[in-house]
Amino acid sequence: MTKVEDMISPVKIWRRQKEIRGLLSKTGSIITWTLIYVSGKDFKKYAPFPVVMVEFENGKKAVGQLVDYSKEDLKIGGKVISVLRKVRESKAEDVIPYGLKFRPLI
Amino acid sequence: MISVIGYYTTQFGELWDKSLSDLIKEVILGVLRNTGLDKKQIDAIFFANMLAGVLENNLHTPSKIAEILGVNVPIFRVEAACASGGVAFSLANNYLEAYSDKTILVIGAEKMTDYSPEETTSALASAASGEEQEAGLTFPGLYALMANYYLQKYKYTEENLAHVSYKNHYHGSLNDKAHFRKIISVEQVMQSPYVAYPLKVLDCCSTSDGASAVVLTNLHSLKNKTKKTVEVLASEVATDSISLKERNRIDEILATKIAGDKAFVKSKIRRKDIKVAEVHDCFSIAELLAMEDLGFWKKGEGGKRIKELQTMYGSNGDLMVNTSGGLKASGHPVGATGIKQIGEIFLQLTGQAKNRQVKKAKFGLAHNVGGSGGTAVVTILGA
Repeated sequence: MTKVEDMISPVKIWRRQKEIRGLLSKTGSIITWTLIYVSGKDFKKYAPFPVVMVEFENGKKAVGQLVDYSKEDLKIGGKVISVLRKVRESKAEDVIPYGLKFRPLI
Repeated sequence: MISVIGYYTTQFGELWDKSLSDLIKEVILGVLRNTGLDKKQIDAIFFANMLAGVLENNLHTPSKIAEILGVNVPIFRVEAACASGGVAFSLANNYLEAYSDKTILVIGAEKMTDYSPEETTSALASAASGEEQEAGLTFPGLYALMANYYLQKYKYTEENLAHVSYKNHYHGSLNDKAHFRKIISVEQVMQSPYVAYPLKVLDCCSTSDGASAVVLTNLHSLKNKTKKTVEVLASEVATDSISLKERNRIDEILATKIAGDKAFVKSKIRRKDIKVAEVHDCFSIAELLAMEDLGFWKKGEGGKRIKELQTMYGSNGDLMVNTSGGLKASGHPVGATGIKQIGEIFLQLTGQAKNRQVKKAKFGLAHNVGGSGGTAVVTILGA
């Protein structure tokens, strides 16, 4: 049996989608960034991965991983766009947890 | 008048032979022995712990403490992430402002090393916002975001940060209760692997096991017959948005600033009167931000000032910082840290700090932060 703490709760994903919807395909610039080498257990497979804090054009801010990037993209002031991506590992029968990530704006 | 009349701490470190209950028992018996008190003289207990509920399915600790000590007094558990200890102390202080002639035990304890780094990292991340967790941000990651911003804005390098760890490890070598008693060089910090760029292993505090306790009283007869006491001049808590992105500034912990300003006003102590301070150095960058936000250094000066090493024991500086080794070298058993900081100031102000004793220190400050700055506590003590 899957332990409760290992299961990704579908209701939590469903609630989160309502917020994420409004945050997609928005452009903004990187305020600060880091490259995470030692991660939490759900993210171990992806490490090292970059996380950026972004300020959108409307002044709102968000944090998320940067994907499809090259080293030069990791800079304060860099332009990015928000995209929908799988955000953490899940078990075969779990709902796939999609969420907010960013990719460099070309 | 509210006084701290005693302190005890267990060893900090990887204490595989000790459970959370063992640590709590040791620290209670230790502090009662140090103060010569009987358990019947304790009117209430405040207990700080963050992770037992998450990591080991262990809650309702107050009742466990009642069993260990064999008492029926009110016991309160306090959780405010890494500021749990400081907040517990502040609440105990408030309790004594409300009730007269009481004596209180304030305990902080944490058991962290039974788990893998990923499990502990995930558990600690429970103190971050949901969005930060979803982004895979860890606590080193959150402070790395602040560090990267700070270094770029004020034109410093990772070497500036490395001096915090160099200093605090030297202090840790002087503290027999510290997790790490090894002196390290700036080069060693620079050569350690990254945890979250630009922070490296030796920029980060460890996860540790440990427990610390102080006794607080406003019972005059007890205070008067105790030789070594310090007065609580202020213990102030402030909060801020849990999400780093919602804060006004990335290079400032506003909660520290607010709690610090309130504590200085309440205590009527000037910053230059503080000769010894324990500040929350969970990561090297955090000590620089703390020194600036507490008003000891100007904003942006930290990178330069730390390289001068004027806050290192043995220098001719006016203020020694983190003589216990700080979180960096002393270790960071989350719930215990805030109490250990106050305990270190108690030792310094009562002349019990042995080989790291700061001379002529009449006033000291302890600064404890929860999460990435969502909670801050500043306590000022006077001899």
